[in-house]
Amino acid sequence: MDGARAISGTISPSSEIPVPIPEEEQMRAEFYGMLARVLVAPPDDALLGALARLSGDDSELGAAVRDLAHRVGATNAEAVAREYHDLFIGLGRGELLPYASYYLTGFLHEKPLADLRGAFAKLGIERASAVKEPEDHIAALCDVMAGLITGAFGPPASIETQRTFFDAFIAPWVPRFFHDLEAAQSATLYTAVGRVGRLFMHIEQTAFAIA
Amino acid sequence: MSDRPEKPTAKRREFLKLVGLGSVAGAATLATGRPAAAEAPQAKTSGYRETEHIRKYYETARS
Repeated sequence: MDGARAISGTISPSSEIPVPIPEEEQMRAEFYGMLARVLVAPPDDALLGALARLSGDDSELGAAVRDLAHRVGATNAEAVAREYHDLFIGLGRGELLPYASYYLTGFLHEKPLADLRGAFAKLGIERASAVKEPEDHIAALCDVMAGLITGAFGPPASIETQRTFFDAFIAPWVPRFFHDLEAAQSATLYTAVGRVGRLFMHIEQTAFAIA
Repeated sequence: MSDRPEKPTAKRREFLKLVGLGSVAGAATLATGRPAAAEAPQAKTSGYRETEHIRKYYETARS
């Protein structure tokens, strides 16, 4: 099990109980879930197949999603695994380090991670006991946002609770990360992932400002 | 944080619909993929796991 999945894995059974949340809030959870899945590990054939079937309208976000689906159709799992490796793992290190602590302090395991653990404790989220990796990976944070929206950690979190978490742990660095991902030299498929993520983050920030 | 007592959820709702969030078809199947379902094929198509990823990352960060 990986760190990000383990976080949702420990508590996900309750998410299978259907909770009536508005459709557009559900869509937000789906975007977070999609981003978590493509960022937690290289997508396998099944995930690539699902990505290739995505469609969108003529909005900027819809177009970015269509571009993502199109790019998936022009690649395969092996090529994507190489790309993922170059981006996030690398020989010495990957091109990008998708951790809050790194983005905010230049180092791992710094205060942002400690703060995040404090917030998780308050929200009733824990890691699986076997998992030792830090929780501030981009995929873990996307999973947590999805879980807050759908109610994977208890009842669905209020917009206010979501915004507090978003403002503290997502807004300070995730938009920058997606911007970097879109511009990354090693990225081809992930250019589109970066664009979808960047546009989605912008929508999130605007929507939280409205609510 | 907002002190406003009223919740303009209609406005939020309208905005989220306007930006095309609801226009994306197929995302649901992606987001609801259970870790267990995603894991088996993952093992055969790629050697990379998050644990390796992060372990490697720790090594480089220490040096």
